Amino acid sequence: MSSTFQSDAFMQRLAKRHAAEKRFRLLGLGAIVLSLGFLALLLFIMLKNGLAGIDWQFLSGSDSTEASVAGVWGAAKGSLLTMIVTLAISFPLGVCAAIYLEEFAPRTRWIEWVEVSINNLAAVPSIIFGLLGLAVFINTFQMPRSAPLVGGLTLALMTMPVIVISGRNAIKAVPPSIRDAALAVGASEVQTVFHHVLPLALPGILTGTIIGMARALGETAPLLMIGMRAFVASPPDGFTDPSTVLPMQIFLWSDEIDRAFVVNTSAAIIVLLVFLMAMNGLAIYLRNKFEVRW
Amino acid sequence: MLIAVVLAVVAGLGLIGWYTARAKARLLYTGRGSMRATANYHGLHLALWIAIPALIAFAVWTAVSPGLVNEAVLADPAAQMLPASDMERASILAEARAVASDPSTVAFNPLANRLAEPMRSAQTQFGFIGIALVLICALAGGGYAWTRIRADFPARSRVERGIMLLLLAASLIAILTTVGIVASLVFETALFFRDVSPWSFLTGTHWSPGNAIGADIDDNFGAVPLFWGTIYIGAIIAMIIAIPLGLMSAIYLTQYADAKVRRWTKPALEILAGVPTVVYGYFAALTIAPAIRDFAASLGYQNPSTESALAAGLVMGVMIIPFVSSMADDSIAAVPRAMSDGSLAMGATRSETIKKVVLPAALPGIVAGVMLAVSRAIGETMIVVMAAGATARLTADPLASMTTVTYQIVQMLTGDQEFDSPKTLSAFALGLVLFIVTLILNIIALRVVKRFREAYE
Amino acid sequence: MTNETKMTARHVDVFYGDKKAIDDVSIDIDNGIVTAFIGPSGCGKSTFLRSLNRMNDTIPIARVTGEIKLDGDDIYASGMDPVALRARVGMVFQKPNPFPKSIYENIAYGPRIHGIAQGKADMDAIVEKALTRAGLWQEVKDRLTDAGTALSGGQQQRLCIARAIAVSPEVILMDEPCSALDPIATARIEELIEDLKNRYAIVIVTHSMQQAARVSQRTAFFHLGNLVEYGDTEQVFQNPQETRTKDYITGRYG
Repeated sequence: MSSTFQSDAFMQRLAKRHAAEKRFRLLGLGAIVLSLGFLALLLFIMLKNGLAGIDWQFLSGSDSTEASVAGVWGAAKGSLLTMIVTLAISFPLGVCAAIYLEEFAPRTRWIEWVEVSINNLAAVPSIIFGLLGLAVFINTFQMPRSAPLVGGLTLALMTMPVIVISGRNAIKAVPPSIRDAALAVGASEVQTVFHHVLPLALPGILTGTIIGMARALGETAPLLMIGMRAFVASPPDGFTDPSTVLPMQIFLWSDEIDRAFVVNTSAAIIVLLVFLMAMNGLAIYLRNKFEVRW
Repeated sequence: MLIAVVLAVVAGLGLIGWYTARAKARLLYTGRGSMRATANYHGLHLALWIAIPALIAFAVWTAVSPGLVNEAVLADPAAQMLPASDMERASILAEARAVASDPSTVAFNPLANRLAEPMRSAQTQFGFIGIALVLICALAGGGYAWTRIRADFPARSRVERGIMLLLLAASLIAILTTVGIVASLVFETALFFRDVSPWSFLTGTHWSPGNAIGADIDDNFGAVPLFWGTIYIGAIIAMIIAIPLGLMSAIYLTQYADAKVRRWTKPALEILAGVPTVVYGYFAALTIAPAIRDFAASLGYQNPSTESALAAGLVMGVMIIPFVSSMADDSIAAVPRAMSDGSLAMGATRSETIKKVVLPAALPGIVAGVMLAVSRAIGETMIVVMAAGATARLTADPLASMTTVTYQIVQMLTGDQEFDSPKTLSAFALGLVLFIVTLILNIIALRVVKRFREAYE
Repeated sequence: MTNETKMTARHVDVFYGDKKAIDDVSIDIDNGIVTAFIGPSGCGKSTFLRSLNRMNDTIPIARVTGEIKLDGDDIYASGMDPVALRARVGMVFQKPNPFPKSIYENIAYGPRIHGIAQGKADMDAIVEKALTRAGLWQEVKDRLTDAGTALSGGQQQRLCIARAIAVSPEVILMDEPCSALDPIATARIEELIEDLKNRYAIVIVTHSMQQAARVSQRTAFFHLGNLVEYGDTEQVFQNPQETRTKDYITGRYG
């Protein structure tokens, strides 16, 4: 009876199957190595081209037609102002919406529509948000073009669904026993949520918020639509001043014919990536440090 | 800056209201059970009554005052000289607004300079009216709430009802955004279709909006080459890169790699996903595209272009790898272990189990992930803007320069065209097409994912 | 088939990380009869069962020491291929786990990967034979292309048994095969085991003592990772040698 599995034919076949197994495994490893190799190549080329361009002049200057005096501070300040607007709007709205949808919303058709909306907004191409910003904020409400206010509003609409989704997941992860405990001592439902559920969900919400903000910080296309490509020779002073943002500065410099701007572009990319990695690192730190596994 | 002032004033009033109302409510306390709500809730109740009416008033005022300002300016004698056309009028008024807010601006139209003064005074006047309105609403609300501070007043449940309304309003923003997107796209697209027939837009094969003047306008807005370029770059070339690499990465990570490798590789892949698209675009333009051009030249191409569908598609594919990989990862993880155990227990090798049992079981999830990836790729803008090119052409040659929907949207809206020209409006029509296609892909994919998850729960 | 020894285990320990799940178990599994592993939950009977066809290899933290032999060959020897081993030692799981494929494909899967069938007609014959032996042929012969997952729970489990049989293994390990089934489906599986026992060495893990008494000829009682008692089923149930066995069988704990 055991002969079937000890026959030569079976053994030869087995050897072939093991070879196939090995090939498949190598293929998987190769895919990862190739993907990460690409990342390494990208980082290497940016560092090689840009590292020399990072000096005080570059970090403190604003845009210029002269590559050697152009700097990123103006764009970075524009990014900062824009991010402040984005955060100030998307965070409270996102958290409120997440709380409502997860804790209080009745299961009605209306709410279903809200949920479908949020899930889809999270996947709508960013350039569409730019068209929305252009049509609504600039053409309808006559807000100033190129301003951090409008850029921030546009990015806030884009970031909010991300915050809502991560917020809901964080709230969902808080075990019902905590709610039961609070309700059992006579807290109202609103008190239960604000005193007990929300604090426990906050690290998760913050992680999601940082990731959403990092995405907004790297976003270019929607801001192109609302004209945030101003030539900014001095840093913007307020939310309505014409300004540009870091990724936009990269885009503008990449278009310069002067080869000297390759250094500036790559250096600006390094600056942007440092910011983004710091934000993502913070998110990972928060997740590891505060998120309790229930 | 007006916004900041108003917000600060409202916040200040609210704070004062909360404090005084709390103090007043404390005086009512005569012992346990004497009040239906704690003093703090009376304070919150009053603060909400100050803030919410004031903010609503401010929002309404911000929306209507530009119109009122315009009307006031039009009533000015200087405005009699304005041209009759609404469009020209609007552009002169816009210029006047710019001059009014920043006197150093030089207006293109002299009339705008003359209107700047009335514009500024109207703005100031209506600004004051607005602030007065906000204050009145705040005080009226506060006054009403003040009279409610009584021992038997259920301040807590009132406050909670107010909070609930705020939460509800926040979640309605999502619907509002969706409606805003649809409405603005549809509205501008309708304007576009007054000039260009939808049929020739959707089926025409010639795209050169630059030549679009006069009677043959229809012939220059054929968007088929754009659709083809978008599909070719985003759904074909990028997916040829992203699907095998993403899928194999996910398989390796979930099925073969030990915990240590996973701990390092996953965050690294996340970095790949977190790199901004403008960086990918620059990388494509700086490194990949010239390499591909040289490669094309070595194949004997005459004057190969620096911009090519291949360069854009390749880099886009790499950008999508982590996305495909994480979707595949989730789907594979959702396949019950019992299923692969069943296969392994029969003497199947790991790879046979993966290919014949795990992947077929995870297929719906993976397909949905690929659909989301395609939706993301065709909506991607910066990479194609920087590496794909502006030439609308129908070709299957990956080394040719090719344009896409998103590229043309950017092209039509940057620069200084007036807002109502068919060229500008065509961007919204393209945006609408893009929105509908990605929406359909997303809805189907999210449904499939949901059903897939339920199947294994 | 005579009662020759099919598998032998000597001084087997199984660790999960630092935790010892099986402590020094030695046992012989004979051909042509049903051997039952009984014991309270968490006693290690399933763990030990999974080490008999090296399914524990799929759990990264699991480690097996000692010696387990199949027909005299050490299954943990470096030359032993777990793939070939599992073809000879089949397994049926606690919860029916048909593949998300048609009934036919579920059965054909094993013969196909091992290259057992010569052509379509041969495969059809193998599928029919396996389904017939599993007592499922009459119920499904007209709908072989339906999804395996569309069957009832009891049918699914018989499908999984048929799937294991189709490879013509020498040993079949069953890990609480009836725990997810209703009494009627359980009775059918037990009949099936009775029919199959002459052709294979069958090992069944069960938490039901009645089931062990009904279907098995040999019974091994596990407790806290130890093999407490092993002998003829009748003897273990009628006249247990160990007090712990007696206590368990009489329902003192479990």
